[in-house]
Amino acid sequence: MRKFRCGWLLCAAALFASGLVTACRSSSASNSATSIQAAPDVTFKDLNGADVSLASLKGKVVLVNFWATWCEPCRSEIPVLIKLQDTYASKGFTMLGASMDDDGRKSIDPFMATTRFNVNGRDKAINYPVVLGTDAITDKFGGLLGMPTSYLISRDGKIVKKYIGVVNEADVVKDVESQL
Amino acid sequence: MNLPRRFLQFPALCALLLVSGFGTHAVVKAQESSAPMSAASVVKTHVYASLDPVPRGKEFQIALVVDIVNGYHMNSHKPLDSYLIPTTLTPQLPPGFTLAETIYPNGRNKTFPFSPDKPLNVYTGSVTLRLRLTAGEDAPLGTKSVPMTFRYQACNNSACLPPVKIPVSVEIKVAAAGAAARAVHPEIFAASSAK
Repeated sequence: MRKFRCGWLLCAAALFASGLVTACRSSSASNSATSIQAAPDVTFKDLNGADVSLASLKGKVVLVNFWATWCEPCRSEIPVLIKLQDTYASKGFTMLGASMDDDGRKSIDPFMATTRFNVNGRDKAINYPVVLGTDAITDKFGGLLGMPTSYLISRDGKIVKKYIGVVNEADVVKDVESQL
Repeated sequence: MNLPRRFLQFPALCALLLVSGFGTHAVVKAQESSAPMSAASVVKTHVYASLDPVPRGKEFQIALVVDIVNGYHMNSHKPLDSYLIPTTLTPQLPPGFTLAETIYPNGRNKTFPFSPDKPLNVYTGSVTLRLRLTAGEDAPLGTKSVPMTFRYQACNNSACLPPVKIPVSVEIKVAAAGAAARAVHPEIFAASSAK
């Protein structure tokens, strides 16, 4: 009798667990991915027209940040990204800002030349590589619904976290440090 | 195992299953709500004309009522920064019609978690954009479609969606000059009826 009851309880627990698994899968599609997968084989163009492939950054921890000049939340997190580059570039980390502006350099060039961000009370320009993103590239990341969207890539080229929306500074610092 | 005892186990089992179902549902819903929607699904649009029919030579209006999903906003027609993408309504008028004015509502200055110190001028909730038009003496008689392009760029409290252009249109009936015309949808057009 007790065995039988345990069976039912196990059954229910399994159902609950399967529900949680479903919920976690849904989470990877929403605001953060915890399942580790290989970063896609993509090549961006930098602002001088040169190729920048993700493969060429293997060995570094990379935070790929899809953003646009017209996106206020994207602009608001740039000071955090500048700080990440300042703090961790010497330890094997790099930011990679992928602009999704439709008109590419027409928007990016003046933005890079004139826009400064308040970082700890000082006006600073973007200090990390900025490249041009495309829909074909974001499709290889699984599609882009909103911006900013960022992907943390480990030294061995695996996506270890996806952030949809503005990154939380404490969280992203912890995540980057865990990969260095 | 006798039947009554088996039934006694059922409430506990049902409770567990319910907790499992509701718990999962709640978690999934909470996570879904944080994921951005597609840009096109953030708004519902409705288009109205102010007169039925529209006599040749008469001024009339077209209204685009935009219902923005709760939790989202879009830049107004006059955002506070030049780099932000304004909301616009652009008609592709058929021959015989002229546009006198596009009337945009004022936006509301609002701060957001990503911009706590710097307000943005935005539309939220339901907003109405209007076109003031005239059907010319040469406007073709009968039913005519007026196509328009509605462009906007929406965000929620954490992320922005790409700018989109949505085609919208309204059908109007053009009648002879001097024909009787009925004012329709006064609840939408009353505010600008003096024009």
